[in-house]
Amino acid sequence: MRPLFQSFRLFIQQIFRDSMLSAVCIGTLVTALFIRFGVPAIENILCNHFQEEVILAKYYLLFDLMLALITPYMFCFASAMMILTEYDENLTRYLAVTPVGKNGYILSRLVFPALISIVVSVALMHWFSLTAWSFAMTLLTCILTCLMSIAVALLTFAFSHNRVEGLAMAKLSGLLMVGLFVPFFLLTNIQYLFSPLPSFWIAKLCMEQNLIFLWPATLSSLIWITVLYQKFSRKIR
Amino acid sequence: MIRVQDMQFSYTKEPFIENMNFDVQNGEIFGFLGPSGAGKSTLQKILTGLLTTYRGSVQVNGIEIKHRGNSFYENIGVDFEFPSLYEKLTARENLNFFASLYKKHQAIDPLLDSVGLLHDAGKKVSDFSKGMKSRLNFIKALLHDPALLFLDEPTSGLDPSNAKRMKDIILQEKAKGKTILLTTHNMYDATELCSRVAFIVDGKLRALDTPRALIMSRGAARVRYTYAVNGREEQKEITLDRTGEDDVLQKLVQENRLLSIHSSEPTLNDIFVELTGRLLQ
Repeated sequence: MRPLFQSFRLFIQQIFRDSMLSAVCIGTLVTALFIRFGVPAIENILCNHFQEEVILAKYYLLFDLMLALITPYMFCFASAMMILTEYDENLTRYLAVTPVGKNGYILSRLVFPALISIVVSVALMHWFSLTAWSFAMTLLTCILTCLMSIAVALLTFAFSHNRVEGLAMAKLSGLLMVGLFVPFFLLTNIQYLFSPLPSFWIAKLCMEQNLIFLWPATLSSLIWITVLYQKFSRKIR
Repeated sequence: MIRVQDMQFSYTKEPFIENMNFDVQNGEIFGFLGPSGAGKSTLQKILTGLLTTYRGSVQVNGIEIKHRGNSFYENIGVDFEFPSLYEKLTARENLNFFASLYKKHQAIDPLLDSVGLLHDAGKKVSDFSKGMKSRLNFIKALLHDPALLFLDEPTSGLDPSNAKRMKDIILQEKAKGKTILLTTHNMYDATELCSRVAFIVDGKLRALDTPRALIMSRGAARVRYTYAVNGREEQKEITLDRTGEDDVLQKLVQENRLLSIHSSEPTLNDIFVELTGRLLQ
């Protein structure tokens, strides 16, 4: 385990030495503060201005879902950028022939950050969410958003050759988040066109509070992860 | 130390490495010689466990590579052709990090000193020249004092004095009893360093022997000389072992009439071209 933790320690050091990646990680807290305090403030202003009872409040759950997603998404984005940097510097292959090994590398660069992101995400949801959440539902949602974020990180790395391409791919992968909005705005069965997106099922699960949606949410994430992992694995050998 | 039996590997449906068989003994420097794309790096990836989808058997220290654990790497040092270093860290920080991955490691300063980088230890790797990165990359592979070293083009991009320094270190490691697998297309390095060399072309092993035995298999060195006859320059060539029987040469030497004389020993490159019909570079 020691090589694995040393590898993870370096990963954290590298993140803090990289101004963009540190900003990304700190950005999750800024987003949480904005959702908790900024959104209700804007809601007040809008309601006063348009003389309405509620405008944004109908979508507070959607804001909470974005809050649940932002931490794993940003942490996994930072991971993908770090892996791309290490790939550029021929380090991914090198670390695979040290006691860290290929699996250790994946654990220290993807799984550990993802696990930490679940803890941070649950904490942020506890302190900054706009609607009431049970602990079980919060944990479940954060695990699901974490799985989806791992798929995004794999997608970013697998289809980019450097950090510039990685940034472009990360923006494109934001499309995977579109599913969160679908059940809120697309009320007919056409919404199921978005069923390949894990985010769609996560939104359904939280909106309808029906655990049946847990299965497609998990399954769709795992399918994305499995398919993308093949390409990821081929790339780092 | 290493035993490869009936090994086959392919990236696609077409076979790439076919029926490869060889052994590497403890304490020898074993060279893989071949042109770019011949399969040398793929072979190195298989032997270091990066590629495990091969057929046949590949054993290192009695362990089938497919079934290795991570502790397998405690005794293996790898120097890839292209430097694998953290550019934002200093040379010393890089070595400290990589050393921390192993149960045992050597002191860092003597290693840095051995390749002339001690005074640059505090510099960021991004400020290093290509040659400095190559040297740092090389000592990174020696950090944990591994019994088996994989070196891929270790002298590539180095000036002659640093290339010699690296070759001296490689020979010192051999003297300590280390087993070294050297991948190169530099015939001079191979001749100078290797106990045995294997020629690899298109994923196949075309020849395997000591450099001397391979060179001698082509026959003795040749002597070419020129001299003047009636104002015209003539040239003659004989094998080195028959100079005593060449009356013309004897006479020309006695009469000081030689215009030029050269000996030409075959090189590994000549043998390689003869055996494979391909150039090494």
